Amino acid sequence: MSEKSMYFHPDGQEALVELLFQLADDDFLLAYRGSEWLGLAPHIEEDIAFSSINQDTMGHAAMYYQLLEEFGLGTADELAHARPATERRNAVLLELPNGPGHYLREPRYDWAFTVVRQYFYTQAKHIRLESLRKSAYKPLAEVAAKVQVELHYHLLHWHTWFVQLTNAPGEARTRMIKAIQDVAADFAGVLTLGARGAEMERWGLIEGEDVLTEKTIAALAPAFAEVGLEWPMPFGMKHGNGRNGEHTPDLDDALATLSEVYRSVPQAIW
Amino acid sequence: MMGTIMTFTRLSEDEKHELFMRRIEAGEKIEADDWMPDEYRMTLIKLVAMHAVSEIMGALPEKEWVPKAPTLRRKLGIMAKVQDEMGHGQLLIRVAEDLMAPLGKTREDIIQDLLNERLKFHNVFHMPAPTWADAGLIGWLVDGAAIMTQTNMLDASYGPYARALKRICAEEVFHAQHGESIILALAEGTKEQKDMLQEALNRWWEALLMFFGPPTAETTGTSKQDITIKYRIRTKTNEQLRQDYFTKYVPRIWALGLKLPDETMHFDKTQGKWIYRQPDWEKFKEIIRNNGPKSQERLELRRIAHKQNAWVREALSAVRTVG
Amino acid sequence: MGKEQGFYQVFEVFSRRTPEAPLQHQFSLLAPNEELALVMAQENFMRREPVADLWVVKRDYIRRINEEEKVALKRLDNKDYRLTRGYGDLKKRWRKYEQNVFDEKEILSWKGEIRR
Repeated sequence: MSEKSMYFHPDGQEALVELLFQLADDDFLLAYRGSEWLGLAPHIEEDIAFSSINQDTMGHAAMYYQLLEEFGLGTADELAHARPATERRNAVLLELPNGPGHYLREPRYDWAFTVVRQYFYTQAKHIRLESLRKSAYKPLAEVAAKVQVELHYHLLHWHTWFVQLTNAPGEARTRMIKAIQDVAADFAGVLTLGARGAEMERWGLIEGEDVLTEKTIAALAPAFAEVGLEWPMPFGMKHGNGRNGEHTPDLDDALATLSEVYRSVPQAIW
Repeated sequence: MMGTIMTFTRLSEDEKHELFMRRIEAGEKIEADDWMPDEYRMTLIKLVAMHAVSEIMGALPEKEWVPKAPTLRRKLGIMAKVQDEMGHGQLLIRVAEDLMAPLGKTREDIIQDLLNERLKFHNVFHMPAPTWADAGLIGWLVDGAAIMTQTNMLDASYGPYARALKRICAEEVFHAQHGESIILALAEGTKEQKDMLQEALNRWWEALLMFFGPPTAETTGTSKQDITIKYRIRTKTNEQLRQDYFTKYVPRIWALGLKLPDETMHFDKTQGKWIYRQPDWEKFKEIIRNNGPKSQERLELRRIAHKQNAWVREALSAVRTVG
Repeated sequence: MGKEQGFYQVFEVFSRRTPEAPLQHQFSLLAPNEELALVMAQENFMRREPVADLWVVKRDYIRRINEEEKVALKRLDNKDYRLTRGYGDLKKRWRKYEQNVFDEKEILSWKGEIRR
């Protein structure tokens, strides 16, 4: 990409950078949580398929971090590994643990929560990308088009699990309904664009939060009809607004782990 | 009916056995539904099931480093590698399942055998991986050892196993390169990185020697190598494989300036073989009995996950979906 | 047979690399139903190659030939009347008329431009 094409009006740059951090941190944290499931999924073949989705998603994060390199804030690796929790812009839903326990000790991870979180997020991501493809910042529009390519599979995968488990008799349905409530409780945090949302819209970077929310709800509605569930409105931000830097101790733990080796020998080449 | 024009079923067990041996000695492949001697089936079940669960358990030492990998690219690379280990486990467990089907055993049985410690897994995967250098070393030298044993079985008489191994060996090339890439960065890095690497090698060397199994039955009391050679599942002995491993890897280890924790290691030209210090084979026996440093901890991860997720499998067993 | 039996059904996976390629058998996987089998197939066996088409088939629905029946697959190699090698004399015969023989290479080249 030429220097000229990476250019964006300086007045709009702060809003752009905010948006890019949201996109990057969202995918990075969710991929991180997904990678903790390695070897622990309900079924070997699914463990393998899920890992591909996590790799794809981390790859998406890397693309956004690479766009951010243009703004002199650090390399993609630094942006991914070195920023403290207060600077992170991911939705809090995505930093929540997979369940009680730790990925190396007593991992009592919750597949229902994972399926619902992944499905809801993927749907919201899809709507967001549709909008980003028309972004005034061309490099971002191009990345969005690329990410869309892989998202079709993610949607098919999670939609299938969501419908099959929620329609299964007995315990499964109960667990899925609880998971839906838990995800909904923080889902507004995914849909929000934070304090600078209006600015982002003004600069043509992305459509407004309300429009995106409406479209996401419409996109999720058919799945809810398929499983015979009432719409779980409204969505909340129970654990805070990650877009504004409000995070949980779970994020501190995640960041400590994911940056452990990175920080162990500063400036090293790995 | 097709059966009436065939004469195979009218042969005696001895005659069938002889025909079978002639088939495999002629390089023919045995398929899942073919007649096979009980000894052949049971030997393969043991070998393939152990190989399968070793891959599945083998994902765990490296899994520790997936969230912690120091760059985006390394996180992705190690995710892909661990995914491949699960993938290899999947291929092999499918082969084992089809072999066990006539005995009425299923995947759930194999998993339970692993969790109840009736089924053993390779010694290396019981060992700790306390640093990032261990993660790199596993990709480099443990996979290197696995490549030795797996390439040796590419012409295995049992078709499904040979085909699975072909897929596995193709992916091992990436594993070797992934491991080497990490190791080279450490070997060329800071003092801390170099020390980390040397310490990892010191930790793993004995386990790598033991990976190939005892040289003879006398060392540990049993050795399956004679049967697996007789049935053309593999061609080289444990010691041959270990020697080949030294030939391929010791020069490279030394080239990077690393030292082996065995100062006796050298190639004797007259004898045409590597002279080295034997590992503690008593320790090997203990490890294989699931008393290795990490055996129980890793098995416990699997036990917990399996139990936690039982509801998923139960839910979808009952469901008859449309279309 | 525990209550989890229905979860582990065997599906054979087939895929096509490119639209022009034949459908190829890849491997088998376990899944509770064909929808999940389909959704897991590509990432299990074709992570590193292109996939233009994908089938999953429940193994139970496949009639496979068994060991004893395989002898019925054998044929004699005495049928050059239906092979090009059975018509090797044409090259010499056409030369009498100062014409080239239309062999396989020539005929398949008609796909492209034919110079007048």
